[in-house]
Amino acid sequence: MKVTTNADRLVRQVLAGEVWPALADRHAYRVGPDGQPFLLPGMGGVTLGVHCADPATGYASDHLEPGASIRHRDPGANMALQFLTCVGNQVRVTAGPAAGALGHVIGQHAYVLVDFPEAAAADLAPGDPVTVLATGQGLSLPDHPAITVKNCDPGLLAGMPGGTRPDGRLEVHVAARVPAEAIGAGVGMISEYANTDLMGAYQGLGEDLSLGLEGLRIGDIVALADADHRYGRGYRAGYLTIGVISTGQCLLFGHGPGPSTLLSGPAESFWLVDDPDANLARWLHPQPEAMSAVPAPREAR
Amino acid sequence: MSALRTVAVNLLGLVEHPALGGSPYRIDRDGRPYVPAGDGGIVLGLQLGDSVFGLAADHAAPGACLVHPDPASRHALASYACIGNQAWVRTGQAAGARGAVLGQRGEEGRVIVGLGQADLARLRPGDEVAVRACGQGLRPPGLPADVAIMNLDPGLLARLPVELPPSSPPGDDAAAVTVGVRMTVPSRLAGNGIGRPSVGWDLDLQLPPPGPDGAGDLLLGDLVAVTDIDARYNMGYRRGWVTVGVVMHGTSPLPGHGPGITPILTGPAGSLRPRPDPVGHEGLTGAVLKLQ
Repeated sequence: MKVTTNADRLVRQVLAGEVWPALADRHAYRVGPDGQPFLLPGMGGVTLGVHCADPATGYASDHLEPGASIRHRDPGANMALQFLTCVGNQVRVTAGPAAGALGHVIGQHAYVLVDFPEAAAADLAPGDPVTVLATGQGLSLPDHPAITVKNCDPGLLAGMPGGTRPDGRLEVHVAARVPAEAIGAGVGMISEYANTDLMGAYQGLGEDLSLGLEGLRIGDIVALADADHRYGRGYRAGYLTIGVISTGQCLLFGHGPGPSTLLSGPAESFWLVDDPDANLARWLHPQPEAMSAVPAPREAR
Repeated sequence: MSALRTVAVNLLGLVEHPALGGSPYRIDRDGRPYVPAGDGGIVLGLQLGDSVFGLAADHAAPGACLVHPDPASRHALASYACIGNQAWVRTGQAAGARGAVLGQRGEEGRVIVGLGQADLARLRPGDEVAVRACGQGLRPPGLPADVAIMNLDPGLLARLPVELPPSSPPGDDAAAVTVGVRMTVPSRLAGNGIGRPSVGWDLDLQLPPPGPDGAGDLLLGDLVAVTDIDARYNMGYRRGWVTVGVVMHGTSPLPGHGPGITPILTGPAGSLRPRPDPVGHEGLTGAVLKLQ
């Protein structure tokens, strides 16, 4: 993205986490839109076979978290890991059979979600330690003071198409536009933690549940209408939020594929370009190593 | 579903003490830090019939919030307690005072109990309050098959502006429930609470205060309809449905939050018909609950 940033003023921190197991309780079942009980995998552990640019929905899964789901054992350190880690940050497996493998962060979901190449993911298991090179919180766009940047590695922003237009607006390429009616669980939460579930993406269920979002892919850059995520996540007419789809299929009602927040501001500050290729895979996958080679972003003003 | 009899269970709650983290500040929707007064515990001077926008407070409820130190017991308290259930103070200086459940709040679970102001003033965090929980599973005669009811004491239904049709075949146009409400709110304004169970949680409405850009005023105890929300289990978007709830806490400066409703009825719009009356609506009042 051709835009002036303060990237040279950001710190980089080395954070630690570990692949976290899937969690369940003895009651097992949760409840779908029509009252159907279900027990489906997706959250926690290492979810295989789903990567950036793959369909977000259509799996027998709930709250599908592609790749490895990461937490820290200490509650305070975990919140720091969840808050400070940004989409596009590089993650290295520190020990275990997959030691040395490199992945990148695709979002947060009360876990840090890390997409690894399939061969590396296949060797990962809960408990494996990972090291996160965290940078991005504090990123700002001096030429676009009305737009707040969140959870975004400066390298990711630099790799995205678009940028400052002659009319002063920020051009952003998006794979989908999401209506305000789709905003589900996650509204009212802070925008540096977890994500916003999108309703209306339940494949194979009734028309009355559809908001036309069944075609979302993991890693898609999407625009959320009337969403203000500058200080948390809420409805505000005339605002716009740009996010990246970091989680997939849900059957739990009121939930769905979720974008992690990247940019938020008045709608008139943005210029959206509909672009089916607006997906993390275009800039980050399948070679996350490239992230470490991203040149130092542009000078601050 | 055949109409089984509801069962009453005596539960115990403790009056909540408000809790904060290491920082006193939360951040409002415009990025300003604020101290969240009134979020839980005992709130004095706020009653059913007062505006949800009247106080500089966060999620303030008209009465006392009950919790339980054991998380599972706390969830059970919030899930089984129903609007209109009797509550009585068992310990402390307000022992013997009687009140009623006004609704519940989500996350860890809270039950809001309305009491007379003099009794509330004598109440202290930690006091024991018993709740005669009854109402989950209620299926009143005449309720259309595709309409679900929840969170309501069986004796309260007749005292709310809810008109059940005479028993008639499913699909019969006359077989709709009509409900008097203060206003109808579109689903895009449904905030925190979406995706959570309709028992044990509330649904916040992201409503602006009354004014040129806002709707009219909204009062604590009002019934409100939300379009395109199905609240039979978890609350979520379903085109053509309606959910009706009782307003039981005031607004919040937090983004994605606002005055909250405890859902009581949900169904397809053809079977559940809100009748908005911005001026004359009377929902849950102190008189209905016989609060002093």
